[in-house]
Parts: sequence; C-alpha cells; structure tokens
Amino acid sequence: MKATDACVCPYPAGDSTLARMALEARELGFDSIVVIGEGDGEPRDLRILRGVVISASSQKEAIRQVRKPAVRAADVVFVNAGDTAFNRAAAAVEEVHVIRNIHAARRGAFDHVAARTAADRGTAVDISLYPIIGFRGRRRQTALQRYADILGLHRRYDFPLTISSGARSILEQRSVREIHGLCGLFGMTEDEVTCALSSIGRLIEPYRPVRVVSE
Amino acid sequence: MREKRRYILVRILPYGFMPDRKDLYLAVIEAATSLWGDVATGLAQPAVVFCDEGYAIVRCRRGTEGDIATALATVTAIADERVALRTVATSGTIRALKRRIRPARPLEETGEVVIGEDSFTTYRYPRQKVDLIKKGTMHQKSLFFTREDLEER
Repeated sequence: MKATDACVCPYPAGDSTLARMALEARELGFDSIVVIGEGDGEPRDLRILRGVVISASSQKEAIRQVRKPAVRAADVVFVNAGDTAFNRAAAAVEEVHVIRNIHAARRGAFDHVAARTAADRGTAVDISLYPIIGFRGRRRQTALQRYADILGLHRRYDFPLTISSGARSILEQRSVREIHGLCGLFGMTEDEVTCALSSIGRLIEPYRPVRVVSE
Repeated sequence: MREKRRYILVRILPYGFMPDRKDLYLAVIEAATSLWGDVATGLAQPAVVFCDEGYAIVRCRRGTEGDIATALATVTAIADERVALRTVATSGTIRALKRRIRPARPLEETGEVVIGEDSFTTYRYPRQKVDLIKKGTMHQKSLFFTREDLEER
C-alpha cells in the first residue's frame, strides 16, 4: 500500500457510496482507503480496510471498547485524542493503531511522553485534512499549529503519521498531489508526506522478526 | 515588460455544475486570501480566464502556481453550492491546457429513483458513475453512486 486515505465515511454517513468513493480515490492516486462505518460493496481495483473509531473519556473505557468483537474485527483501530493523560495511555494500548482528532485536542495534549510511547509501540498520529480544507480563520490556524507541533515531535521521536481526508463525499476527497501541497502548509516535506501516506500498511502488518510456528 | 504567467486547469465537481465565472473568481479569491493573506494573493494576481464544460483555467504569476493550486484545493463552495476543484495540469499557455479538457457529459439514459422519502433524478456518466440530484429544491441535495449501487436498490 503506497498511498492510503486513512479515513473516509461513505453513505449513509455521507452522500457518496463506498464504490463511488473508491472509484474517485483510484482516480486521485490512492491504492487503498480506510472506511469508517457502514459501506456496502467491495470494489475490485482498490484495497478497502475497515476502520473503527473509539471515543472514550478514560483509559479504562478505551480498553473496554477495544476488546469488543466489532473493534477486534476491524483492520485499523482509531482513538479520538483527549487530554494529556489519556493520550499517553492510548499510545500504549496495543490494539490501538492510530490516535486521531489531534487538531481538536488542547495544545500539548500529545506531548513528548506520548510521542516516545507511540514510537516504541508503533502507534500513529493522524493528520486530518478536513480542518485545513473546511475550516477558515482561527480554527484553521489552530489546526495548523497542532499539526506543526506533531510534526516537530514526529521528527524527534519518529512515531508514524497517517494522513486522512475525513471525506463524507467525493467532493471532500483530495488527490495525492493536492495532499502534498496541503501538508506543505505546516512544513511537511515531500518525503514525509509520501511516508505518511504509506504508513497504514506498516501499521497493520508491522515488520517483526521471523517466527517459526512449526518444525 | 510583461510578466510571465502560469495557467492552472481545474476540473469542477460535481459533473454538470456550471458556475458563473465571477462566482468562481470570488470563490478562488476567498480561498487564496484566507489561506495566504491579502499580500501574497495580491502578488499572485489570480484570475479566472476560462470556465466552461466542467473545467476552469486560473491564471496567476509564474512562481505562485503551487500556492494557488493549494488554495484551489481548499475551495469547498461556489455561490453556496458544494463543489470541489481538482487540479488537472499547469502550463504556460491556455492552448496547451484546453487540449487536455475532456468534458464529462451525461449519458443519454436519465431516470428517476426514490430513496427513503426523497425522489432523485439520475444522471449517468462514463466509468459507471451515477449522480442523483434531488428534485424540487433550490439548493439541490446530491448523492454520488455507481451503476452497481443503483441496481442493488
């Protein structure tokens, strides 16, 4: 998986079906997408990964939710970011792949401790393009500041990043080339964007030492 | 001396939406000003020089085309209608860009479909795409399906 849109929400949550969003994603340069919520159909020329989002107010609640069968069946598990203590704990939960909604968290909520834990455990932080595209003024400035902070921590601690459009419509999907431009707004280089777009594949199939299962 | 310019070809989504050139210009200026500020946008001198057949060509000063293309990616509405502007190509001449225009015209077979309590008119496009436009509203609600999605209903 070289380029993955880490979050799309098809019909009925949005106005475009999964098949149509997959068709558009293919035209926009993606080879896989992560689908949140319901979505019928299995397009042929694009890999579809099933994602689930956990919204929890405490670490205990998050752990309880990740043990639900529906969450275990998902390919990618997202957790909405919270306060500093929650993010530190979420980064350490093995079942969690990605911490998302970081733009909505307070400044410093994802700190160096969470960054180091995320790097050790291979937990990614999601960069959603929705606030950059859809917001204006102060709200967009805040999101850009958060992303710049995350990028600084990423460069220091080397935890994975993912990039998502958060699209609920084909009108909200953006091409790989446009994503390079949008991520450049908060200082991401071309190589960093390329690496972030391909990181979902490494999250769900991490590099591990070869294990002998039978002799 | 005349300054060098660059032209950006963008495809307008959804298909069939034909915005007024002035409305498109205002949307581009709003997006560019919001993203880059008055100074940078003023120096880039963006202008809409062509708008037809589902495509538009945006002119800007050479060297600013990357910034303007990024601003175009943040356009979400034109005159209160939800749209997306997809950058297709950048060139130094309008003629080169016009050669790349491939208008997406609806296939002749249109129809009607009822989803829930709403009635939609269907417009079929190449590559199995079907756009559903809700009937009888000023700001029309659209759904974006494929032919298979529609047949399954």
